[in-house]
Amino acid sequence: MRRPRSELFGMAFETLRRNPGRSALTLLGLAIGVGAFIAMVSFGEGARRSVMDQFKALGTHLVRVRGTSRGGQERRPLSDADIAAIQRDSTSISKIIPVARVIFEATHAGHQWWTPVHGTEPEFATLHTWDTSLGGLFDARDLARRAKVCVLGQTVVRELFGDDSADPLGETVTIGGLLTCRVIGVLGPKGTSTSGNDVDDIVLIPVTTFAAYFGLPQGYSALEIGPSQPEWIEAAKEEARTALRRSHGLGVDEADDFQIDSPTEVLKAVDRTATILARLLQGIAAVSLFVGGVGIMNIQLVSVTERTAEIGIRAAIGASPRQILAQFLVEGALLSLLGATFGIMIGVGVSVSVAASMGWQRITSFGDVAGAAAFGIAVGLVFGFLPARRAALLDPIEALRRQ
Amino acid sequence: MASGAVVRAEGLWKIYQEGGTPLAVLRGVDLSIDSGEIVALRGPSGSGKSTLLNILGCLDRPSRGRYWLGGKDVSTLDATAQAWVRLHYIGFIFQTFHLISHSTALENVALPLHYAGVPKASAHQTARALLARVGLADRLDHRPNQLSGGQRQRVAVARALALKPRLILADEPTGALDTRTGQEILGLLLELHAEARLTLVLVTHDPNVASVAHRQIQVRDGLIVGETRSDAPAA
Repeated sequence: MRRPRSELFGMAFETLRRNPGRSALTLLGLAIGVGAFIAMVSFGEGARRSVMDQFKALGTHLVRVRGTSRGGQERRPLSDADIAAIQRDSTSISKIIPVARVIFEATHAGHQWWTPVHGTEPEFATLHTWDTSLGGLFDARDLARRAKVCVLGQTVVRELFGDDSADPLGETVTIGGLLTCRVIGVLGPKGTSTSGNDVDDIVLIPVTTFAAYFGLPQGYSALEIGPSQPEWIEAAKEEARTALRRSHGLGVDEADDFQIDSPTEVLKAVDRTATILARLLQGIAAVSLFVGGVGIMNIQLVSVTERTAEIGIRAAIGASPRQILAQFLVEGALLSLLGATFGIMIGVGVSVSVAASMGWQRITSFGDVAGAAAFGIAVGLVFGFLPARRAALLDPIEALRRQ
Repeated sequence: MASGAVVRAEGLWKIYQEGGTPLAVLRGVDLSIDSGEIVALRGPSGSGKSTLLNILGCLDRPSRGRYWLGGKDVSTLDATAQAWVRLHYIGFIFQTFHLISHSTALENVALPLHYAGVPKASAHQTARALLARVGLADRLDHRPNQLSGGQRQRVAVARALALKPRLILADEPTGALDTRTGQEILGLLLELHAEARLTLVLVTHDPNVASVAHRQIQVRDGLIVGETRSDAPAA
C-alpha cells in the first residue's frame, strides 16, 4: 500500500514552514536561477530578432534574379515571359517585379547628380519594406499610362535640392537628358547596405516609362521576388530557378544563364552570431540555475544532518529507506517547485519590462518558460537526491544515538 | 507454551571489526521467548544486552547465527525487509522516548500507521483510541516538549502498539523517569500485556522492573550466564 502523494507534499510543506527564513533563502537561489534563465532566453531572442529586423529592413528578404553571360554568348535578357513563367510555376512566391536599372545623370535647376535610376513597379516599396517620407509612390495607373513621375531617395534630394529637408514634391527632374518627370514622392532614409552602398542614392520611375524613354535593349536588369512567407525564401529561390531554366529551355547538363542571389547566406551568418550570443547568455543563466540547485543540496544536507535523530526514530519504528528517501526528495521537489514558480514570476516580469523599454515585441514564449521551470525543477531534484539518499542510508542505531 | 515461540535465536554472534582487532560483543547466544511471555534482559553495561536487543528488534544483523521471529528467519534480511519487519512485528519503547519533537502526540502515534499506508483519517482514529487507552485523551495535540516525561513515555507506548506488533522491545523504559512515574509506566505495560497477551522483552537495571518478568535472563560478556524463572510475576 502506497501513501498518497498529497500527504507526502503536505508533510514536506510543514517541514519547510517550520523554518520559513531558511526555506525562502533556499528557494530564492533557484528562483533567481530560473528567473535569470527565462530573462536571458528572452533577451537573446529579443536581441536576435531586433538584429534580424534591422537586416531585413535593408531588403534582405527577397530573391534577386540577374541575367549572366555564359561561355562567350550574349547575355540572356530577362523578359516579361520569364516573369510569367515564374508566376505560373511557383507556389511559394507572392510578388515578382522587374527592375530596369541604369545609372543616369539627373538634373534639377543647375544641380546634377549621377544616380541609379530604377524602372520598376509599385510593389517595389512593399518588397523592400520601404515607405515614402513625403508624397507617395506611383500606382498601376501611372504604370499603364507611362506617367512621367519619379520618386527620389534621400541622397538624390540632398544633391539636387540642396538639403535633406527640402520639399521637392511637384518639382521636375530631368533624367538622362531625355525624361523630365515630376517628383511625386521621397523615400524614407535607409542608410548604408550590408555591402557598404548608399541605399538612399536612388530614383524610382515606372518601368513602362523607363522602357518608353530609354528602351530595354538588354531586357530587365533584375527580377525581384518576394516569398509568401519569410522562411520560404529558399523554396522561392529554387522554384524561380526551375521556372527560369524551363522558360530559357536549358537542358539538364546546361549551366544556368542567370544568377539568383538571396541574402540568406548573410542572414544565416547574422542569425548564427546572434544565436551564439543568445546561447552564451543562456549558458550563464544555466550556471546560476545550477548554483541554485547546489543551494538546495546544501540546505538539504544540513537538514539531513540536523534531523539525523528524527530519521533514526522514523527508521527504528519501521520507515523503509525508500519512504525516508521519498520524504526528503519531496521536500527538495517542493523547494524547487516553489523556486521555479517564483522564478517564472521574476523572469517573465523582467523580460516583459525589458522588452517594453527596448521596444521589442513579446519575446517570452510559453515553451521557454516551461523549459526553464522544468530545468529548474530537474536541477532541484537531482541535487535533492544526494541528501535524500544520505538520509535513506543512515544506520538507525547510529542515528538514534545522536540526540 | 501453546502459542509457540515468538523469538528463537541460535548461536548469535556479533563481531565488530573496528580498528583491526575484532571485538566479539555477542558470543553465541541461544534464546527462545514464547508468545505472551515477559522477559527481562539484565546485565552490566557492555555486557552485550543492547546489541542483543538491537538484533531482536531487527535494527542490526548477527554476524553469525540464526534468528527466527514468529517462525520466519529474519537474520539475513536487507534494510528494506528489516524495516518492514520492524514496522509490522515489533514495537519499540526507548529510555529517552524518541518521539518526533515537532509532531503532536497524535501525529507521533499515527506515524507507524502512516508508514504502513493507512489513510490519514483512519490512522488518526486509531491513534486517538490508543492515546485514550494510555490516558492521554486530552493531550492529543500537545507536542513532546509540552508533556511530562511520564506522558511522553505513554505516547511512546501508544506508538509501539499502533500496528499490534507481536513483540514489544523496551530498552530501560523507566530509566529516565522518577520512581513513581516509572511504576505507572510499568503498571501500564502490565495492563496492556494482560489485555492483549503482548510478548514483552525488557532491558533494565532496575530490579523492581525486572521482578515483573516471567523470566530474568542475565547477560555478561556476550553470553547468557543465567536465568531466573518466576511463576507469579508481580503485577
